[in-house]
Amino acid sequence: MNVPRAGLTWLLIGQALLLVPLWWQLPPWLLLFWLVCSAWRIQVYRMRARVPGRGLRTAMVVLAAVAVFFSSGRSFGLETAAALVVAAFLLKLLELNTRRDAWVLLLLGLFCQVVAYLFDASLPWALYSVLPLAALLAAMVGLQGGQGERLGPPLRRAAGLLLQAVPLALLLFVCFPRIAPLWSLPLNSGQARTGLADVVAPGDIATLAQSPELAFRVSFDGPPPARRQLYWRAFTLERFDGRRWQQGGLSRFQAVQPWQPVGEPWRYRVIQEPTDKPWLFALDVARSTAPDVQQTQDYRLQRRRPVDQPLYYSVESWPQVVRDPQLAPALRQQNLQLPATGDPRMRAWASDMARRYPESEALVAAMLQRYHEQDYHYSLRPATLGSDSIDGFFFDTRRGFCAHFAGAMTFALRAAGIPARMVVGYQGGELNPAGNYFTVRQYDAHAWVEYWRQGQGWRSVDPTFAVAPQRIDQGLAEALGADEPFLQGSPFSMLRYRDLAWLNTLRLGWENLNYGWERWVLGYQQAQQSELLLRWFKGWAIWVLPTAGTLTVLLLGLAVLRPWRRQVDRVLRQFLRFERLLGWHGLTRAPGEGPHAFAERAAQQLPGSAQAIHTFAQAYTRQRYAGEAAAPATLAVQLNDVRRSLAGRTGPQRKPLP
Amino acid sequence: MRAALVARLQRWQDRRAPAAAEVQLDHSRVYIVPSRAGIAYAATLLLILLAAINYQNSMAYGLVFTLGSLFIVAILHTYRNLSGLRVGSDAPQAVFAGEQARFIVHLQSQGKAHYAIAVGWGVHTAHTTDVLPAQAQRLELALPTSARGWLAAPRLRLSTGFPLGLLRAWSWLRSGQRVLVYPCPLAGELPTQHASASTAELAGLQALGQGTEDFLGLKPYQPGDAWHRLNWKAWSRGGPLLVKQFGEARGQDLALDYLALEGGREQRLSLLCHWVLRLAEQQRPFAFSLPGLHLPADCGVAHREACLRALALFEGHR
Amino acid sequence: MRALLDASLESINEVLLGKKYQVRLALACLIAGGHLLIEDLPGMGKTTLSQTLARVLGLSFQRIQFTSDLLPSDILGTSVFDKDSGHFEFHQGPIFAELVLADEINRATPKSQSALLEAMEEGQVTIEGATRPLPSPFFVIATQNPSHHSGTFALPESQLDRFLMRLSLGYPAHAAEKALLMGEARRELLPRLPAVFDHAQLQAVQAEVRAVRVTDALVDYVLRLVEATRNQPQFAWGLSPRGSLALVAAARAWALLAGRTYVIPEDVQAVLPAVASHRLRERADTAGQGGAALVQWLLHEVPVL
Repeated sequence: MNVPRAGLTWLLIGQALLLVPLWWQLPPWLLLFWLVCSAWRIQVYRMRARVPGRGLRTAMVVLAAVAVFFSSGRSFGLETAAALVVAAFLLKLLELNTRRDAWVLLLLGLFCQVVAYLFDASLPWALYSVLPLAALLAAMVGLQGGQGERLGPPLRRAAGLLLQAVPLALLLFVCFPRIAPLWSLPLNSGQARTGLADVVAPGDIATLAQSPELAFRVSFDGPPPARRQLYWRAFTLERFDGRRWQQGGLSRFQAVQPWQPVGEPWRYRVIQEPTDKPWLFALDVARSTAPDVQQTQDYRLQRRRPVDQPLYYSVESWPQVVRDPQLAPALRQQNLQLPATGDPRMRAWASDMARRYPESEALVAAMLQRYHEQDYHYSLRPATLGSDSIDGFFFDTRRGFCAHFAGAMTFALRAAGIPARMVVGYQGGELNPAGNYFTVRQYDAHAWVEYWRQGQGWRSVDPTFAVAPQRIDQGLAEALGADEPFLQGSPFSMLRYRDLAWLNTLRLGWENLNYGWERWVLGYQQAQQSELLLRWFKGWAIWVLPTAGTLTVLLLGLAVLRPWRRQVDRVLRQFLRFERLLGWHGLTRAPGEGPHAFAERAAQQLPGSAQAIHTFAQAYTRQRYAGEAAAPATLAVQLNDVRRSLAGRTGPQRKPLP
Repeated sequence: MRAALVARLQRWQDRRAPAAAEVQLDHSRVYIVPSRAGIAYAATLLLILLAAINYQNSMAYGLVFTLGSLFIVAILHTYRNLSGLRVGSDAPQAVFAGEQARFIVHLQSQGKAHYAIAVGWGVHTAHTTDVLPAQAQRLELALPTSARGWLAAPRLRLSTGFPLGLLRAWSWLRSGQRVLVYPCPLAGELPTQHASASTAELAGLQALGQGTEDFLGLKPYQPGDAWHRLNWKAWSRGGPLLVKQFGEARGQDLALDYLALEGGREQRLSLLCHWVLRLAEQQRPFAFSLPGLHLPADCGVAHREACLRALALFEGHR
Repeated sequence: MRALLDASLESINEVLLGKKYQVRLALACLIAGGHLLIEDLPGMGKTTLSQTLARVLGLSFQRIQFTSDLLPSDILGTSVFDKDSGHFEFHQGPIFAELVLADEINRATPKSQSALLEAMEEGQVTIEGATRPLPSPFFVIATQNPSHHSGTFALPESQLDRFLMRLSLGYPAHAAEKALLMGEARRELLPRLPAVFDHAQLQAVQAEVRAVRVTDALVDYVLRLVEATRNQPQFAWGLSPRGSLALVAAARAWALLAGRTYVIPEDVQAVLPAVASHRLRERADTAGQGGAALVQWLLHEVPVL
């Protein structure tokens, strides 16, 4: 069985379309491989080349496997698997002789589509994926032959079928029970992600501030808090080695001290972009009901598995809760840790301040005042610092980014004997006027300080606010000086052109769409499903799928088969039953035999039932041909009489008597 | 075991759908199951579902649900592609044993298009064709013949996988048609024997058959009369189509007699068949007899057909 | 009314022995208001049937023997100068009768044939510029020899279509012929035959025929028949709309004769050979044998339900 031309062509088109989103993820030599295989296949079809022999095919399989192995860097992750699937998809092209081969290729194609979704399921690519899917379906239709060899009809038919499948697919999407992963699979995409890292040198956050990439989106139930309250905590940095800040060992793994909610909470939902890190983003003091999430010692929310796909979770935050009214000795020690040597000027200044302001609150206020009054500058391009980086920044260059201010302040507080730590996360966000949600980007990354006070627990303080209040109130773009253009590294980012009103509207609309997509489609998992179904259907949720599913299939059946087109009226149906009954007794009606004549013949052959047969036939004829009101029930009764009168006969008689 | 099951299934089907020269395919005749490709497709969907669950990927979920719904939609469409088709068949022309009997099958649409309909005896597809609305398709299905007598058409199978090939809808039909198979002609010597003496004398006096010498008169044309004897002149003037009749006084007509031959039954019948054809071709009158049947000397198409039919259906003389 | 119809059938059957089906068809044809074509060899009782019908239905009867030298004026009539009055006076031709027997119509030239056929279609004749109405009711029974007999002009299809039915009486059955030979001459029975209908009753019967009920289901069957003639390859051409109207009209009359006020498929089947066979031709048949075999095919193969 040969592969029909329409089927083959659509298969090749579908393959080309399928591979487009994958080229960004796969080793480039696969592209070359694809070109060779496709060209070869086309030449085979045009009878300019021969199908490669078994030996050559085996060689190519081995070659492809080896190439995948080497280009994957010898680690087996998703990319390796994807490269293998795609390589198989391409190689099968050379062995495309029968319809069976074409089917293998088609099914591999469906798999490739899944792989593409695993890499990127954002709205544009999801919309795009309709194209390869339609092409593959058109290939299926084309494989059946029929409709001539033209390319248009299979595609039109495939599109029609796809449209008809949409209602049921939507229903399944909403109602089919989502379950937790059956087993854990690392989705090690190996991509470098932009975002906060575990270890922070003062300049790192400044680098991050050049990136307009999306970090997460938040939508509040009810009115959102003021902008200057939006401090999104990621994690804390507690160990300082004289140059860089790192996370403390305790806060990472130990569970948090139990705390009681106080006051009014903020309720909100977060859709977080993949970070490949375990922490989530939330306002203080947060609690999330999302599965698999716990709060550690430093009040961060942390997941067991890294966030490797867009993650949707809801959070409640109580801003008035007092954190750690008592500080454990180990924790206290960790938050007073300083390198043994270095930064002598800062240490001296701090002990001097501690003497002048014995109250820690007064000390903090004095420090902030110094930041505010003296000649400190908020800048993305801090000067290079020598070995004593804190001293260099605080006393000499005085230009820096949030991490510089926070780092110096934490150092000073610790040197003054007050437990303190640096908090890293994001601050602010852009409110989308249409969607009532905040978009937080990488350039919103921020660092601030927490110090501990007996009885009042941890208190947050932001030195950046003292230096550049615009950064907190309006955002980074406004805080930067005229000589430092915003998003210098991303000349094409639409965010750079926020001054153009129409462009900005367009951008916000597009973001809104993406937000809806992530929230309602990509984020639609177990938690959201049960919440939604419960809200819509209350206790009837489990009946929704069977009922609506049956209904949809029924409607679909009606629409496709249109049974009313060939309706058999109920009177006629009774006659057909009559015919079947007599069929058991060896009487079959030829298509051209009239009902009356048939009944006459039957009555002669079955004299015992003649009376009943006549009665039935006359009633039927009158109802069907004399315009009498249709009374199928009467006919059914009379048919029963016939059946009863026939019941006495000994066994069905297959043939008429000679 | 399996054979018994198949036989039972076929009996059930026959009961549901009795033989008829023309039928319209409907739910009592159309069966539908997933094809092998459909099963592979279902297995693939299962794998995709597993991937969707494990990676918690909504788009993979979406894909698997869309493809699953397509499967359901395909059931409806595949059924629809076969149902409503009207299938009729013509009685085929008689053939000689060993030839292919040609059954004609008509496919006619009742207003919608049917694509890629495979037609054949049993599972062997002979034709794949589209049936468009208001357009009847005429297919010729060959069936090899081996033995003389009536040969009933086997079950006809119409099937389709259109549109997606995930399912196979099919229908078994018994047209009830049969073809008459004449014996295979076998060339051989005919022991010359004449019709019995009395008829031979009578025949000698009668000018019988179609000789070439004496013009006897005209008779109305009947299909099968030789063209070269048509009275074209009269016909071209607007008269009826007449045939000139010539007579040849013949003393002796050939007689083909089964009992005068030797050999087995089939061999004799084949030999007779050969001679019937040969004599009919030469337009020589001959008498024909089988045990229990005697056809007096005659010639012409009707006589030839009667002889061949008798040969095909001869049952006696074991 | 039923009694009248039964009585007339009985009377005709007394004269024409062993031809119940054909007699019934002929009567159905007339009460459906159609013209009748009888095709038969000479001496089969065509004339007798026509005369009997005329008598029983109480119609005035004229017979026109068609010959090759028959002129249209011989049928329609002509104006003759009357010396006494000094005017041309119109002498009515034989067509001015309620039942006209056009005997051996295919012996006449097409010109004469068409004169008659026009009269049949229009119900009036135009002679020398003056239009004269024909009597009402007006029936034509035409007879013809089988067309392949020599010296005939076969009626073209367009003209055949004007006859509601074509009948063929055929040889009588053995018993009927015996009775025919034993009994007295049939023609002599005729003058003694009483008229069963008068004009008013005939009109009433015709109105009743038109009132016979035809349901959707039946029309569907008729349409299936008609469509089969148009779609099946063995038909040289299909039935015209006039043909399908004729089929329904004849089936109504047949149903009424059977004592029903509604038509069932069997009625259609009963009249189908008479109504359709002269309107159809097999593609393979070049000799013009007619569509009897096709009609049989229709009766067997076109589904009734």
